[in-house]
Amino acid sequence: MCSAFHRAESGTELLARLEGRSSLKEIEPYLFANEDSPVLGDILEFHGPEGTGKTEMLYHLTARCILPKSEGGLEVEVLFIDTDYHFDMLRLVTVLEHRLSQSCEEVVKRCLGRFFLVYCSSSIQLLLTLYSLEAMFCGHPSLRLLIVDSLSAFYWIDRVNGGESVNLQESTLKKCSQFLEKLVKEYRLVLFATTQSIMRKTSHLREGPSSAFTHPSDAGVDYRPYLCKAWQQVVKHRIFFSKDDSKTSNQFSLVSRHLKSNNLKKHFLLLEKVGLSFVHMYHKMVFLQDGVQVLKSL
Amino acid sequence: MGLLRAGLCPGLTQDVVQLLRGRGIRTVVDLVSADLEEVAQKCGLSYKALVALRRVLLAQFSAFPFNGADLYEELKTSTAILSTGIESLDKLLDAGLYTGEVTEIVGGPGSGKTQVCLCVAANVAHGLQQNVLYIDSSGGLTGSRLLQLLQARTPDEEEQAGALQRIQVVHAFDIFQMLDALQDLRSTVAQQVTNHMTRERDSGKLKPALGRSWSFVPSTRILLDTGEGAGASGSQRTACLIKSPRLPTGFQETVDIGTWGTLKQSPALQGHPT
Repeated sequence: MCSAFHRAESGTELLARLEGRSSLKEIEPYLFANEDSPVLGDILEFHGPEGTGKTEMLYHLTARCILPKSEGGLEVEVLFIDTDYHFDMLRLVTVLEHRLSQSCEEVVKRCLGRFFLVYCSSSIQLLLTLYSLEAMFCGHPSLRLLIVDSLSAFYWIDRVNGGESVNLQESTLKKCSQFLEKLVKEYRLVLFATTQSIMRKTSHLREGPSSAFTHPSDAGVDYRPYLCKAWQQVVKHRIFFSKDDSKTSNQFSLVSRHLKSNNLKKHFLLLEKVGLSFVHMYHKMVFLQDGVQVLKSL
Repeated sequence: MGLLRAGLCPGLTQDVVQLLRGRGIRTVVDLVSADLEEVAQKCGLSYKALVALRRVLLAQFSAFPFNGADLYEELKTSTAILSTGIESLDKLLDAGLYTGEVTEIVGGPGSGKTQVCLCVAANVAHGLQQNVLYIDSSGGLTGSRLLQLLQARTPDEEEQAGALQRIQVVHAFDIFQMLDALQDLRSTVAQQVTNHMTRERDSGKLKPALGRSWSFVPSTRILLDTGEGAGASGSQRTACLIKSPRLPTGFQETVDIGTWGTLKQSPALQGHPT
């Protein structure tokens, strides 16, 4: 028996690496190995209850982008749209300092120079801000990553403002989703958006459009889609975050589901004071009696 | 924000508003997302004027991006960590209450939430010489209790009076009064809120009230519980960190709310109290 490290570099990753192009496919190899890597123009959704590591993952990905190439980063610019005023600059700086070989103020400031933050306090303001940011995307060709944390922040306010009509309630978010898709495709960006699990999962499956989105493998995942259809349609890749209920309080798991290919993957994360890290999944080769080899995960 | 009306921004006259409305363009969003060439033709307005109008509206109503380096500079000068005055609580909070963040204290009745608030208010007003806005919606604040806490810190009556003057109390018994009080607040503050406990419907487990929509808001949450086991006296409470952006959760400290500070605590235990 032997153990083999479970991560194969795909052909595209190898090429990108050799050619020296800063492809966002390398943004997080553990999360996005092989054909499910985020391609420029992709929209990914991080979904989960509070305290499960979604925002921490965003800091992890942001750090990876804004760090210089010499320190293992991609040296691209990031635009972070914060809708619930949760952004913690000190936390981002902690994550950066932990990754730098020599963390001096100068280097940190240069990294942060590649980072842009916008606060939005309503869905209308979010939409108008996206329109005015279009000029920024034109002027910053190295701006590759767009983050929205979180897209569900205005859900209840929009519902109240829309009155009885579901169309009215969802209209602004629908326009935001459509405009985001347009921006992401036109300017070759990758969008990571977080949505919070504010709805409890129903214990029985219901008939109706929502059941079209539940998948048998979602049984373990607390997911009930509540944002507008327009958003559901533009998402390529949905990643569910959850916390392990066991005593170890800093281990989290996430299930990543590529919506087109329906590939499901599970990963484990450790959240520490200095940032998050992936727990390596090791596989064991098991020899069966008739000589058939089977990969068994430990 | 939303409807187009005369005077909303330079260049938006009543005539222009009427012309646009005639073509179904009522709101700022309608105008910004419209095809301006088409609008210019249909409404008989100048294309250039419409483009300028769009630019002005966007500049006025959209949010402006900040550069990370500038933000960091500003943060270094304006952030502060306020000690709560209770050593064990400070440990759970990674030195104290951080400005710019919301910290939630949650617990059942009699668990000591109001006592913690009073201690913190007294410490910030007297020990740190800073102003405190105390919004009371439960009626738990009394001047005499605050005075008692301050008297335990210093015998000097002038100091006590000075500290009391720095604590501004607002009674808010409905959400609108509370929102009014918060609207007037301008400076960088650290916010501490208390919340009650409720039971989860299916499992019967205790959980913080106000549901999932609120639970995302605070960065830090501490659960106060009446201590169990041998040696738990009437005034002892356990404080458990159940949410934090900086420290691993599950750590517990023992707090004696009867006395001013803490008693010698047992080594930090891991695990969930319920």
